[in-house]
Amino acid sequence: MEHPILFISIILEKMGLPVPHGPVGHSLLEQLCAPYMTYTWLVMAFLFFVAKLTLGDLEMVPGKGQNFWELVIGGMDDFFADNMGREMTDKFFPMIATFALYIAVANLIGLIPGFMSPTSSLNTTLALTLIVWLSHHVIGFKAHGLGYYKHFMGPVWWLVPLLLPIEIISNFARLLSLSIRLFGNIMAKETLLAILFMLAGGFFAPLPIMILGVLVSVVQAMVFVLLTVVYFSQAQEHAH
Amino acid sequence: MSGVKKEFVQLLANYGHIGFTFAAAIMIGLAGGIYLDQKVFDGRTAPWFTFIGLAFGIAAAYKSLLEVLWRNKDKDEKKDQDK
Repeated sequence: MEHPILFISIILEKMGLPVPHGPVGHSLLEQLCAPYMTYTWLVMAFLFFVAKLTLGDLEMVPGKGQNFWELVIGGMDDFFADNMGREMTDKFFPMIATFALYIAVANLIGLIPGFMSPTSSLNTTLALTLIVWLSHHVIGFKAHGLGYYKHFMGPVWWLVPLLLPIEIISNFARLLSLSIRLFGNIMAKETLLAILFMLAGGFFAPLPIMILGVLVSVVQAMVFVLLTVVYFSQAQEHAH
Repeated sequence: MSGVKKEFVQLLANYGHIGFTFAAAIMIGLAGGIYLDQKVFDGRTAPWFTFIGLAFGIAAAYKSLLEVLWRNKDKDEKKDQDK
């Protein structure tokens, strides 16, 4: 189920590039022209150019654009510092803040007719999740060396056979739940909007879902970022 | 965002993922058990590893649920002390 009209796909088709009609294409070019890829690039370009245009040079007395970004970045900075401490925030702020901005914009862009959310494809969300999941283990190993395995061993030695599988399962569950939650919420929103557009678009039927969609988009971006922060800080902490 | 809205979104972010993580943990435990039974031991041990995997999955699900509760309990206590 896709949006009725995706304008980038139409432009690419007019240019003679192969746009896959299934979920993914076969050849490399077809895969690169898949809607979720092209819209990912659109979001990336949007973030890059909007930041460049509104920010330009930093000034002591902020103008309109700089004011907005100071609010956004400052708010995120406080939020991260609350949840994982100042030192970790300074280290990982660029990565997590980029994730937050990218996911929020990617979620919200799907509300505009003619656009789709890149996050409504499992490929995108799984890629994001894998980065987070791998880097939280890297952080753990960096902070504790090989002693990081104690995180999976529980408090006392005779509980190890019981707790080791539990810890490993709940660690892999992070991978699954983080990716599928974002994908599922956004895909559901997109599908519902597409169906309502087709059924009763003339009577503004999608409007209430769009209002909910704004909430879902913001909350899902927030959930993803909050969980990233929590996983990072748990990997950094000492084992119980 | 105003204060109430911000808190609402934060609460949703804190507790909104519990259900999905719960289900995901059970699914992974069960899938691991089925894999051990069918692929590693070629069905000779069925259905034992399936049940063991399911039990571990449920235990892991409760563990991740309690983890969320404990984490937020610490934070709430800190907030209460600040007031």
